[in-house]
Amino acid sequence: MKKSRVITRRDFLRGTVYTAFATSAILSSSIDKDVGAEEKVKVILVRDENAIDQQGRINQAIVQKMLDRAVSTLLDEENPIQAWKKLIKPTDIVGIKSNVWFYLPTPEELEMAIQKRVLNVGVPKKNISIDDRGVLDNPIFRSSTALINVRPLRTHFWSGIGGCIKNHIMFVSTPWLYHGDACSPLASIWNKPLVKGKTRLNILSLIRTQFYGRGPHYFDRRFVSDYKGLLIGKDPVALDAVGARLLQLQRIAYFGEDRPLDTTPKHIFVADEKYKLGVSDLRRIEVVKIGWMEGSLI
Amino acid sequence: MRTLLFYFFVLVAVMGIDGLSVFSMERSDRKTEMKKLLPVEIEAYKSDGKDQFYDRNTTFRYMDGAAELYRSYGFKLLMVRRYVKPNHPSIIVELFDMGLSEDAFGVFSFETEGEDPQVGQGSDYGGGLLRFWKGKYFVNVYAEQETSSTKQDVLEIGKGIAKSIKTEGQKPKLLNYLPKEDLIERGIRYFHLHQSLNYHYFVAHENILHLGARTNSVFAHYLSSQTKGKTFLLLIEYPNQQLATKAFQSFVKAFMPEASSSGSIRMENGRWAVAQSHQKYVIVVLDAPFHEKAEELIHATRKNLEGRGS
Repeated sequence: MKKSRVITRRDFLRGTVYTAFATSAILSSSIDKDVGAEEKVKVILVRDENAIDQQGRINQAIVQKMLDRAVSTLLDEENPIQAWKKLIKPTDIVGIKSNVWFYLPTPEELEMAIQKRVLNVGVPKKNISIDDRGVLDNPIFRSSTALINVRPLRTHFWSGIGGCIKNHIMFVSTPWLYHGDACSPLASIWNKPLVKGKTRLNILSLIRTQFYGRGPHYFDRRFVSDYKGLLIGKDPVALDAVGARLLQLQRIAYFGEDRPLDTTPKHIFVADEKYKLGVSDLRRIEVVKIGWMEGSLI
Repeated sequence: MRTLLFYFFVLVAVMGIDGLSVFSMERSDRKTEMKKLLPVEIEAYKSDGKDQFYDRNTTFRYMDGAAELYRSYGFKLLMVRRYVKPNHPSIIVELFDMGLSEDAFGVFSFETEGEDPQVGQGSDYGGGLLRFWKGKYFVNVYAEQETSSTKQDVLEIGKGIAKSIKTEGQKPKLLNYLPKEDLIERGIRYFHLHQSLNYHYFVAHENILHLGARTNSVFAHYLSSQTKGKTFLLLIEYPNQQLATKAFQSFVKAFMPEASSSGSIRMENGRWAVAQSHQKYVIVVLDAPFHEKAEELIHATRKNLEGRGS
């Protein structure tokens, strides 16, 4: 077996690392010349400036609209319910894998918006569950036939970023065993029987993002941005690659300098290269933008 | 033979039970000791009486993946106490028994970006959070919400706790070997694992310096008024010379393959990286503006290691 080359700081200085954790990678069509459009993975970025009101409350109706627009665009359907029917069957047992991290959980408004559309498809309420840390003991998740993976985007002390790939860590009983080597084996969890092949849709909530970590729980309100967006796609690796790039751009915008990710989000690259879970090369990802794009950075 | 085996198993079982009881006694002693350090009442705040304790395995339940930071040091036990006062946001105190004062300093040194309010043996305040260390303890104090009085309350509570920790601790010995000229004291970082090194300064995605629980590392910033940009010094102590030599060779091979035995290269940003192994240590200078500056730092560190430093 061919041993992978060590990526060092000097690769970053040379600009030869192309994945999301490369400081030189640019989400720009100008570097797309050698990558055929047909090879690209589509992800949808939707934003709405009214997603959060003056009092800091998330607007349920706007979030529903954002979700609908993004899913419809992703699946080339005008009607959002028709689009959801391409993802979920009425006979499915659906686990909505959320994230309850106290400081920046998946917004309830987003969970409700997803659940509403799953119900609209015809899945009975009794066959739908929203959970995070209890998934291993949750009968719906244990017998699920479809998963919707949804969580906020943030930096993470040990894995660089907390994104879609990492969100499935609660499907194992010993999460700390996946924290070694910058969490590089995280994507292996997606091959566990409870998860494998079931995740129909991935959603990175960018309604609020945490672009830098500090403090006892790696959370500091100063480094949370009201980005008011959602990033949606079928490929969790592509979403995380774009997400990592966005967090980097947010740090540059905030600090006025290119602060590298605290921990290299190596797991995104490994998810692509080793576990073949998806695409991490930004040049092979098409970001379709919908709605308000002021200060979108990408 | 059967009788012998029987006695052997009995012995193992007794030792096992004994081991467990020793462990649980040690844990119970730690709890008692930690409870004594946190006053029940402080600055008109009272404990809510619901103290929580977490060890190396259970601390994930409390702080998710951030627990890895503490586990990367010799963290033993965490006590969490909430202080309440009518019409004021609650104040949370997290008291970590780090086992050794060196590791209490290490976890503190991980981030020193705020102001130093002079609490304990070293402190940092920023974004509503006070972090300090004293003896073998590392402490976080923060309010659930920030108000105009929060900062003062947090600092007063922190000072009260620091006062009740009677025994001071030593900083890691490795710090003594750092050249003092142009050294930024608050920029010193002490750690064990390569993930921590990458947090401070990304070197490589693989552990090319063979860092681990048995290695001690110090990463220091140097800033001279005469040159632009920071220069970094990494000093690593291995359990023995053989391991240091192997790590040095691995580093040169991956990071500066063109350097061969010189251990010196000009990086792609025009700055210099120089590495040397010396006894059971590896010394690496990164981002030096000139080759001479890098050599100077290496030379001064070697002198200190040999006990010849000024």
